[in-house]
Amino acid sequence: MNTFRLYLKSMSMLIRSQLQYPLSFLTQTLAQLVMEAGELLAVTLLVHRFDHLNQWTGGDLYFFFGLMSVTFYLTEFWGRGLTGAFSGMVRSGQLDTLLTRPRGVLTQVLCSAVDPRRITCVAVGVVSLAMGSRMSAVRWSAGNILLLAESIFCGFWMVLGLFMIEGVLCIYSVKSVEMANTLTYGGRSACQYPVDAYPRPLRAVFTVIAPFALVMHVPASQILGKPVFGWPGWAAYLAPLAGLVVFGVMYTVFARAIRFYRSTGS
Amino acid sequence: MRAYYSIFRMRRRMETQYRGAVLGGIICQVFFGLILVAVYRAMYAGRPQSMPIEHVASYVWLQQAFFRMLLSNDPDLLDKIRTGGIAYDLCRPVHLYGYYYARILAQKLMGSLLRAVPMLAFALLLPRGWGLSLPAGAPALLCALAALALGLLCMSALENLTMGFTMRTLDHRGMQAMMNLLTITFSGNLLPLTLFPDSWQRVITLLPYAQLLDAPIRLYTGDSALSLAPGILLLQAVWTVVLVLAGCLLWRVNQRRLIIQGG
Amino acid sequence: MAVQPQKRQGFALSYIEVRGVNKFFTVRKKRSRGALFREKETVHALKDLSLDIEQGELVGYIGPNGAGKSTTVKILSGILTPEEGTVTVGGRVPWISRKNHVRRIGVVFGQRSQLWWDVPIQDSFSLLRDIYRVPDGAYQKRLGELTEALQLGDLLRTPLRLCSLGQRMRAELCGSLLHSPELLFLDEPTIGLDAVSKLALRDFLRWENGQRGTTILLTTHDMEDITALSSRVMVLGHGRLLYDGAMRDLLARYDTQRTAAVRYEAPVELSGLPAGCQVARQGETFLVTYSPQAVAAGEVLERLRLAGPIAELTIQPQSVDHLIARMYREMEL
Repeated sequence: MNTFRLYLKSMSMLIRSQLQYPLSFLTQTLAQLVMEAGELLAVTLLVHRFDHLNQWTGGDLYFFFGLMSVTFYLTEFWGRGLTGAFSGMVRSGQLDTLLTRPRGVLTQVLCSAVDPRRITCVAVGVVSLAMGSRMSAVRWSAGNILLLAESIFCGFWMVLGLFMIEGVLCIYSVKSVEMANTLTYGGRSACQYPVDAYPRPLRAVFTVIAPFALVMHVPASQILGKPVFGWPGWAAYLAPLAGLVVFGVMYTVFARAIRFYRSTGS
Repeated sequence: MRAYYSIFRMRRRMETQYRGAVLGGIICQVFFGLILVAVYRAMYAGRPQSMPIEHVASYVWLQQAFFRMLLSNDPDLLDKIRTGGIAYDLCRPVHLYGYYYARILAQKLMGSLLRAVPMLAFALLLPRGWGLSLPAGAPALLCALAALALGLLCMSALENLTMGFTMRTLDHRGMQAMMNLLTITFSGNLLPLTLFPDSWQRVITLLPYAQLLDAPIRLYTGDSALSLAPGILLLQAVWTVVLVLAGCLLWRVNQRRLIIQGG
Repeated sequence: MAVQPQKRQGFALSYIEVRGVNKFFTVRKKRSRGALFREKETVHALKDLSLDIEQGELVGYIGPNGAGKSTTVKILSGILTPEEGTVTVGGRVPWISRKNHVRRIGVVFGQRSQLWWDVPIQDSFSLLRDIYRVPDGAYQKRLGELTEALQLGDLLRTPLRLCSLGQRMRAELCGSLLHSPELLFLDEPTIGLDAVSKLALRDFLRWENGQRGTTILLTTHDMEDITALSSRVMVLGHGRLLYDGAMRDLLARYDTQRTAAVRYEAPVELSGLPAGCQVARQGETFLVTYSPQAVAAGEVLERLRLAGPIAELTIQPQSVDHLIARMYREMEL
């Protein structure tokens, strides 16, 4: 059975097992909805009070917010093994069990958890995207649709890559693994708003190190017709690929960390 | 009394055990603070508000520093409720409500003291308009501290009341998540309450959620004039008394039910 | 860097061959007062360990906590790489081409589950089948065989969380054997099990070992597991192999005490017992401890009989646990 089918099968099994507790599932899904709606409410209240942020209108801001929510929570939905479960596996020694099986560690980690409760967060993101695209009168040409899809796809892999940092730090038994949250959850919070809201150092962090700006803001601003860095149109198609680069780099680091784990152990 | 004292001591020891985690948490919290201030500054650049940006920055930093006081963060207790381990506590010769109240209070106080000091020191060093400004005056600072203490008592009572409800629901995690959301939204952590529409503020600031941090912060920055301080403190005291009484009542009913059902 | 094992011409390689393995861990010490950083300390977990196990053996691997038992198992199963020494399992070096190696082994960590908590056991199994890429026909045949031997038939549709500890352990065992491994590592499989489950588990292991010739390495603290299952035992302490041989011989070496418990019909005074006998009283019963190597049992009995009319008499060897405890003490573990 190939890796992708193994993943799908694991997912269906895990989702079925979560549905064994329908009440718990329902309330938690609802709680997620309220949480993300609260975030959207904050944006709405800011738009209500300030009307705009730099050159971005309220509609633009909803669009940026929606793109972030959809991408980030799709990743947390399907990549839960990395975004939530992995550090625990290192600490509990579950990683040893994965190493006794004839499959890649990353495959098994991704197969080990799913978080369908995030579906409501994704839904809030979709609503926000739709709201923004309506208010800012986005023209949905084939190119724009492609840009949006590319942004979400590359964003998924970038966020997965960023979440690997915590796992790697855990393997090297660094004590302050929470620091890794600055790039993941911090990046999500920060890049709900377009990157030019930030002073240069923060802008550099979110362009070069955790390139949310390249993966989301460049294509989104192109779709909205106001390129954020003033780059030409074709650059918007290239920029999101930075997300795949992040994943690639982190994948290499991750593999090294596993090798380190096997040579030191505990 | 000794029992309550040792709860605090235990908490302190627990918190100092995980210095690495605390450091990571502080770095994370500072980063979030910087991001928030940057966003509000960018917003202010286009349309200045009656409340100066320095106050908003101070608001953000004080919220970040005392973040630990906001959220309930005691997985032990939740586990106890879920597994019925709470029955053990029934066997102890302590007043159940008081015991849990002390636990919650200790966790909020010890959890945030260790974090707040370095974070506030850092925020004071940031340039004006980015960091924490000095308080509006010495009396304002004293009032703010009194309000923080009362707010802490009030919030702990609210949390203990919620805990009492949580015991009666089948799914504690959903309940806890909802409680945290209400707290984050209406305490000013998600967005400073001072930036909410003015008509909303008139209602929200009266809710118990606003008592913990919003009320003292406004006194600190001087957004609430000193003359308003007695009223604010009175409101906090009233909420505290009401919530403690309601909590005691609920816990007593719960306790009876626990004994009858046998956990 | 690990050295590649040399193929020795003319000698058959043992199935598991461990030669001069050294393994170090760095652990952080508790921070001393006032120190800014924790000091690091290197622990020498395995010291020049060498051992051989042949295909089809069922070997017990014992030693106190921290002796290096699980480190050995982790190295043999390809999870860890040793700093020095060579290891081959069936001609393969475990940590080189991990996937190829682990396909042929099964591991049960007693206190860690590899099955999914909330889904029926058979679903977990079918996922394991996919992970190990077991062909359908072989899987069905093996599953039938294992469910029968482990009496899992009715349980397959039950979620794991509804199973008792004994049932769970049987399911774990089944799960780790579905891909018909040639080598099985068991880490404390009987921990916490009731008597019936323990006996059933041992029967099964004997069956699996005898029927299929699966090589089994069993680490445990339960000496009854070892006495019941394996003829060969290895004792590990402080990272060294201290004993490797028959369980019977090991016990004989330390089995140097007998206790005679005797109760008389009327109160008596015990006197004139041979030198080297120790007497203790437990209510009305006298406990006389002697060493069979130094004193003949007949001599002791004779004296006991002379003291008065005996109501009840038993003679018992020390329990295996006592023997092992004494052995650890004498080996200074």
